[in-house]
Amino acid sequence: MEKAMPTSRPEAVFVLLLLQSIFWIVAGISALPFALGGEVHMIGLGLATLLVAVLVCLVAIGVLWRRRWARRTALGLEIVCLAGSALQLALPIGANHAPVTLLTNVVVPAAVIWLLWGRMTRSVFS
Amino acid sequence: MYSVNPEHAIGIVGGLLALPMALIALRMHPRWRSVPGTVRAAAVLMAVSGGVHLALIPHHLATEPVTSLLFLLNGLAFIALAATFTWRYWRLASAGLLISTVLAYLVYVGIGFEGPDQVGLATKLVEVTALGLALVPVRGEAGRTHRSWRWATLGVAMPMLLVITGATVWIVDLTRPDPRHVHAGALLQATSTVATPAQVDAANRLYAATKTAILPYEDWHQAWAAGYRPGGSTTLPSSHWMNQRYVEAGYVMDPERPQGLVYANTHHGPVLLGAMFQMKSLNRFGPDPGGPMTAWHQHENICFTPVGFEFSLMTPYATCPIGAIDISAPPMLHVWIVDNPRGGPFAVDIDSSVVAAMDRS
Repeated sequence: MEKAMPTSRPEAVFVLLLLQSIFWIVAGISALPFALGGEVHMIGLGLATLLVAVLVCLVAIGVLWRRRWARRTALGLEIVCLAGSALQLALPIGANHAPVTLLTNVVVPAAVIWLLWGRMTRSVFS
Repeated sequence: MYSVNPEHAIGIVGGLLALPMALIALRMHPRWRSVPGTVRAAAVLMAVSGGVHLALIPHHLATEPVTSLLFLLNGLAFIALAATFTWRYWRLASAGLLISTVLAYLVYVGIGFEGPDQVGLATKLVEVTALGLALVPVRGEAGRTHRSWRWATLGVAMPMLLVITGATVWIVDLTRPDPRHVHAGALLQATSTVATPAQVDAANRLYAATKTAILPYEDWHQAWAAGYRPGGSTTLPSSHWMNQRYVEAGYVMDPERPQGLVYANTHHGPVLLGAMFQMKSLNRFGPDPGGPMTAWHQHENICFTPVGFEFSLMTPYATCPIGAIDISAPPMLHVWIVDNPRGGPFAVDIDSSVVAAMDRS
């Protein structure tokens, strides 16, 4: 019987957080042309989104290095994301319910939470 | 871009069927436990993509045999690679196939062979995720791991593919909208293609009645007194002034009580451009007495922020800037009382040059 591999959950989470970070970079950049069109608050929102994207990237690196703070931050972030997405999907505000929305706003956060949850996974983080 | 092309919906079924089948079949592989979880996940995701590609073949077979053949080869290659995750050159082959598949899709979308839709975009997301999982080096891997080239490829390919895919799909969607999607995300009401003489008369009557009713609001103080309030930034070329009482009452296309007025924000104050009728509920278009001349439109997938009541567009990846949420606005119909050379009196938008000229005057 072959030897089982050590867990690669942190690496999988790194990939998903990197993906999420790029989604937010695109969202942050997409707000900026509207600021040029006169929507001045979009500058702030766009820059805040880019800042969050950078933070998510740092958290991804922290998870890869098995840092406990990174695991906690990622869990907190994804729980907030998932709750926000659930609220947005449940409210009758005409939010998009298409496959990409479900993948990026529900499946990715849920997968990160699932991968980081539990005592076994927690034990690999120092 | 934000909806599923009905002809491609079978692709979702194919992908969803492939997921449990791959999970069951690959678990039976004798060396399933000997490879990192990331490799197993990548293999499953490639099987899902293979399922999507194979499911799309029947629809394309009659009209696009070459595309069908490419789908077949692509689907089989994905399934073969999903099953051979212990092969020595698996990572190299998988990365090559995943990158070339995403780029081929972008070429197809770019030259107009395919319209960007949710099935295509979701499949590309699955493939880019599979690429990341296939390449990411894992602690404790045995043998020659080639970590440096894997990190380099992961660090370059994943961001590049996502940004290029998002940009291509977005540009194509904005520059080549389908007949019912205009003005960046506005969905037009389905109507006949040509207006009958009776519909032309009805449209003219609606225009005349609305213009007469709202002319007093050329003085914005009267609009204010009637309960209209500006929404959004007044630094924009124009603003919608909404009457919340009329919105809540749900009057349907009543020229005496339009839910909104549109003013140009000029340096000499608000100048009335027209009226806006709005329905109370989403997806319920109002009456269109003028047929195609008076088609209502509904703004979908817009990112709205309460911070300054501003809007932007949802990205192809279904994300909004932090602090904004994805919403749709109920159907609306504009009646422009100023000359609108590009679209006419019921167009979705006012010609920006008209507003600019007012500001200069």
